[in-house]
Amino acid sequence: MDKLRLYRLLLAARLRSQLQYRVSFALEATSSFTTPFVELIAILILFRTFPNLGGWTAGEVVFLYGLATTSLAVAEMLSSGIDQTSDLIREGNFDRILIRPVNPLLQVLATDFQLRKIGRLMQGGVALTLAQLLITPHWTLLKGLVFFSALCSTVLVFCTIFLIGAAICFWTIDRSEIQNVFVYGGTEIASNPLNIYDQRLQALFLYLIPIGLTVFYPALYILGKPDPLMLPPFMPFLAPVVALLFLSLGLLIWEFGLRHYQGTGS
Amino acid sequence: MALIEARQLSKHFRVGQRGGLLRRLRDQPSGGRDVAAVTDISFTVEPGEMVAYIGPNGAGKSTTIKMLTGILVPSSGQANVAGLVPWQQRTTLASRIGVVFGQRTQLWWDLPLHESFRLLQHIYRIPTDRYRENLAQLTAVLDLAPFLDRPVRQLSLGQRMRGDLAAAILHEPPILYLDEPTIGLDVVAKERIRTFLQERNQQQGTTILLTTHDMADISRLCERMLIIDHGKLLYDGRVSAISEYYGGQRRLIVDLADDVADPVVPGAHLERREGSRLWLSFRRDETTAPALIATLTARYPIRDLTLEEPDIEAVVRRIYEEGLPGDATAPTGAPMVAP
Repeated sequence: MDKLRLYRLLLAARLRSQLQYRVSFALEATSSFTTPFVELIAILILFRTFPNLGGWTAGEVVFLYGLATTSLAVAEMLSSGIDQTSDLIREGNFDRILIRPVNPLLQVLATDFQLRKIGRLMQGGVALTLAQLLITPHWTLLKGLVFFSALCSTVLVFCTIFLIGAAICFWTIDRSEIQNVFVYGGTEIASNPLNIYDQRLQALFLYLIPIGLTVFYPALYILGKPDPLMLPPFMPFLAPVVALLFLSLGLLIWEFGLRHYQGTGS
Repeated sequence: MALIEARQLSKHFRVGQRGGLLRRLRDQPSGGRDVAAVTDISFTVEPGEMVAYIGPNGAGKSTTIKMLTGILVPSSGQANVAGLVPWQQRTTLASRIGVVFGQRTQLWWDLPLHESFRLLQHIYRIPTDRYRENLAQLTAVLDLAPFLDRPVRQLSLGQRMRGDLAAAILHEPPILYLDEPTIGLDVVAKERIRTFLQERNQQQGTTILLTTHDMADISRLCERMLIIDHGKLLYDGRVSAISEYYGGQRRLIVDLADDVADPVVPGAHLERREGSRLWLSFRRDETTAPALIATLTARYPIRDLTLEEPDIEAVVRRIYEEGLPGDATAPTGAPMVAP
């Protein structure tokens, strides 16, 4: 609780700093709100030509897209600070974090919160609402729970990818773009039915970077669709377990990287 | 028991590796080369001491301090600060040390100064009454009141440094590491910081380890200094001992009222002459300044004179260039310890 309070305080300080540059904030928020809309429209246009994609209708794909995009937006906001690690290290400000009696990860998390990603969040919300109108799935309490846990799990998986990308900076100092390949590539993959992809790609996003597992399988369950990959029926419920395992791996890599931190100059 | 103890601390950095992760991973076993930043440094600092840690740029000063704060993990050797191993118990140690990196601030750049202090209160969990008391005291001593409400980015360097000092001390650490706390400051601002550090050391008994390039900082503040070069400790001893050894030579600068053709001053050596101004050097053990001045005034009409004390900077420069006397006979890495 104490930590949560400190996180809030540090973030509030960051946001007040950001608001010192209002115009720049407004511009970024606007652009982040308009860009993702293009993606949603693109999906709808695609389905005017092809009635279904790997056995999925427009509404169902929009649901996948909504789930992935909403999670991505939340993860991007939470991980904004993690994404700054490379800058913190390069500019020598990481030293400052290490001389304070607070967990470095908490401080890194609190260095930034990109409120402007709220555009993408609204986009995800619009997509989920649209999906609801197009397919009207039959909601039960368990489906609600599966939906919520899928959302949280996917957020965790995305955050962990950012975390691993940041931990790599302890060795390379330079920002590595590798996490972006998996985050944005992963969002793209998860926004479509997993069965349309090559088997190796499926395996990669099910078992190594489990975005497929945390989006696709819960969606199958909620939409009441049969599993085209014929995997065991408990797959939709694995999401939180897998996400937590993946997060633990990320934390281990982060801690390992922290010990290899070499600092910069004087 | 020593408050700070370093035993054969060494730190090697791997350099010459750029490029992507894959290349780095692939090259890790063979690629790049190790550069020793610090080699086998050993010293102890007792509670209440104020010690200068000096050396040219890149000598390893900051690296040593970063190991003693726990920021860096040494390649080998041991350290103990306030009973803790810095890199293993970094977070615990953090509340017992204060650190100022003169080259960069730990304040929140875009926020008013007092907000940084308030955030630090929460970071260090300083009880509110303690915090108020300390802040009031630091505000008074460092004269922070005129700019407490101003964003840090608008502060002058001197103001910012005072703010940074207050930030490092707010949680009353018994140990203070200062990495070039007077860098870039004007004479008045430097003096203010020195006075503050001296008071803090004397009144609170704060142990201070200070790196600097400013020899005035050392002669004003420290009785003991450590000299490091190329990552090795060259000297650990009293400031006065080394300045006596090298600086037995003092200098009297005299402005004569009239031009004298060939001034002769017994007991002193005429170093240089420009018109009516003379530079006379003499050894402390051969004559005294008053005796020399008496001789001078008896012989020539004098308009003005200045006595120059041995310049530690010159002394240190000589050590860098020539090494210490007897250094060749000392075992490698073993620092000469002055009496």
